[in-house]
Amino acid sequence: MIQYYFDWGVIWRSWDKFAAALGLGLTLAVVSLAIGTVIGLAGAMARVYGSRWVAWPVWLYVEFIRNVPLLLLVFFIYFGLPEFGIYFLDKTQSFVLTLSLYAGAYMTEVFRGGLASVPRQYMEAAKAIGMRPWQRQRYVVLPVMFRITLPAVSNNLISLFKDTSLAAAIAIPELTFVARQINANTFRVMEAWLTASALYLVTCYVIAMLLRLVERRYASIR
Amino acid sequence: MMDKQQDRSSLVRRGLFGLSALGAAVGAAAGGGLGLLAPRAAFAQAVGKSRLQIIKERGHLIVGTGSTNPPWHFQDASGKLVGMDIDMSRLLAKSLFDDPEKVEFVLQGSDGRIPSLITDKVDIVVQWMTVTAGRAQQVEFTIPYYREGVGLMMLARGGKYTKFDELKAAGASLTVGGTQNVFLEEWVRKALPQAKIDAFESPDAVLQALNARRVEAYVADQSAMRWLMAQTPGRFIDAGYGWMPNSYASAVKPGDPIWLNWVNTVYKEAMMGVDFDSFAASYKKWFGIELPMPKVGFPSEFA
Repeated sequence: MIQYYFDWGVIWRSWDKFAAALGLGLTLAVVSLAIGTVIGLAGAMARVYGSRWVAWPVWLYVEFIRNVPLLLLVFFIYFGLPEFGIYFLDKTQSFVLTLSLYAGAYMTEVFRGGLASVPRQYMEAAKAIGMRPWQRQRYVVLPVMFRITLPAVSNNLISLFKDTSLAAAIAIPELTFVARQINANTFRVMEAWLTASALYLVTCYVIAMLLRLVERRYASIR
Repeated sequence: MMDKQQDRSSLVRRGLFGLSALGAAVGAAAGGGLGLLAPRAAFAQAVGKSRLQIIKERGHLIVGTGSTNPPWHFQDASGKLVGMDIDMSRLLAKSLFDDPEKVEFVLQGSDGRIPSLITDKVDIVVQWMTVTAGRAQQVEFTIPYYREGVGLMMLARGGKYTKFDELKAAGASLTVGGTQNVFLEEWVRKALPQAKIDAFESPDAVLQALNARRVEAYVADQSAMRWLMAQTPGRFIDAGYGWMPNSYASAVKPGDPIWLNWVNTVYKEAMMGVDFDSFAASYKKWFGIELPMPKVGFPSEFA
């Protein structure tokens, strides 16, 4: 059996900190996903429709971000950019920038796959009824693509929310940071990590449920 | 020489788990079995015989210390145990045997400092030990050889502030960094009540945050701060304010006034007498500070 005496009093006393941390983590994830979606859309368009000179840098960006651990990207933006004289981002903005770039790379791939799987006939039909190129994108390709990629986007949101735990490394007071702070102050290690885990678990599950409802409402294939 | 000493040290340390004489015997047997020199533990003194005499007869001093805390006791690039605590130990050996190498280091964690004295594993503990009234009921402290405190380190060039008054005046617009620990917030609040605090996981992250100007000052032990400053001359400056004082002293097993008094005499003369030059050289090496020569004439410590 576990030889450990639990004392949850510490957790109750820090409940406001946990709540604030959870809110902060969610905000970081949602904002980054929003920016990442814009980056991803532009990136996917560039890779699918752009010339080689546009597609190639995007490919480089995606492969670089996907193949470097997120923690190192966080360190690079937070510790590295000031070395190049870029000071105007504070710690939270630095993290949002990192996570957005990270999300952007993944979303580029998601949307690229989505664009590729829009049936060719839809495009031909749109041409046949006389739609202009931007109308074909706006009314045919993008709506279909969004429906196809919705499950992958939800996955990314959940995964981004969990990635916000890395913000603790640069002293941003999200869930992991708060848990670590309680560990340092009270040595109630089990209680702090169990609480953080439970909060991550429940939050991710709730996000997944909500997104499943959205998917059920909008998904193209039933 | 050093390696052999450390092998022996670890055996002695292992012996600690076995408690007292039994443990020492097991340790000695293991040492002999491995073909190494058996560790000669600092056995309990015979009645009426001071440890000073026992050490003289044994031919070397046994010191309990650590190996992981620069600039106090740590391994340098070549793996040799060095630091301020090590220098103090070598000074004792030199004073006993006229040979600073006649010292055996028993490496232990901070929690081993009192038990190793009580169980006679070591003659003396020289391991950045803070003097407290509670500890003084279990061991006897020598006179202190350093006063530790908290300080603030800033970038020498390119930082926003240059001295403590400016930090204080900055109020809530100031961010200071430190390693996440129980006292960090309390420490900072005492000196800079309004400053924002960024708590990092490790000292290197705080240092990098300071380098990247993410924080304006690094809150750390004065000695750690001095060591960093001595490592990279000209890069960092001290804000010039120290607080939360606590004294570092060596400790011995209680009840041996002759031994305690001898150590005190050596320490005192190192700080203001015949061994001042060697003490000052160590101080300069580990903390980067030039100590003022003790005033000749009336012994000012009695003033």
